[in-house]
Amino acid sequence: MQFTTEASDNLVCVLLAAQVAELRDRIDGGATVELLWRTSDVLSQLSGLVLALAKRCNDSELNEQCDAAVAAEAEISRSLESLAFEQAQRNDFTCQTVDCVVTALERLADTDGPTANRLSPDDLAALYVSEEQRKVHDAATRRFAMVAASGPNGTENPRRQGPGE
Amino acid sequence: MPAILVLDDSATMVMSLSRVLKNAGYEVETAGNGKEGMTKLAAGLKPSLILTDLNMPQMDGIAFIKEARKNASTRFTPIIVLTTESGGQKRDEARVAGASAWLTKPTEPNELLSTLKQLLPK
Repeated sequence: MQFTTEASDNLVCVLLAAQVAELRDRIDGGATVELLWRTSDVLSQLSGLVLALAKRCNDSELNEQCDAAVAAEAEISRSLESLAFEQAQRNDFTCQTVDCVVTALERLADTDGPTANRLSPDDLAALYVSEEQRKVHDAATRRFAMVAASGPNGTENPRRQGPGE
Repeated sequence: MPAILVLDDSATMVMSLSRVLKNAGYEVETAGNGKEGMTKLAAGLKPSLILTDLNMPQMDGIAFIKEARKNASTRFTPIIVLTTESGGQKRDEARVAGASAWLTKPTEPNELLSTLKQLLPK
């Protein structure tokens, strides 16, 4: 397929948005979180079985070992639940950051309206949902400004000089 | 057993929060955004506490809090905002809208449960 340069640029934005959106869905799928929950559930079931079996057994030493195992399981399950909770929140944060990139790319690919294919740094900043994103934005803007202020060999960019200089 | 209404557009977050709350002995109702949350309140749901995300489609967390504060049954219900946002401006907006507390993701189950206990009617 042949496209004009402008259409090709728009298509690249559409394609990148689709690729990143696909990535987002995989992150939100949360396979790690579900595995942690399942592990916690299975451990709890096993713990229940150990307790049930221990009740039928008159071996005091074995009962003590069972009690210790159940206590250890409870501690591990708490840690797994806590880890799953934290992971779910980190996935959520990643998904929201990805959403921001998808929205920005979709806007760049949008050919309708007066702001077609336009997205300013401020427009982008308006999409952010966390301070972390704003810090990254500020750091990248500073780096960009430093590079822009230097010529190819580290000399000052002539375009930054005033008219007639 | 106190009922908690959880609002978040991430299915994984809803499941995760539900699990933490149910393990702690709470009943949980869920909604995927503010509009869905308001529909549940209009249908007669009377939660003891509401836990809401900020960035959601259709009706975001701040719009939801404003609407919930107009609703006679949730005018004084504690509302906790749980969000990736840590910016002061959004926090102020949420406070003015009527939020009772603010937690920034990622938070720990113990911190969430401790905030819940502080806010739930004794």
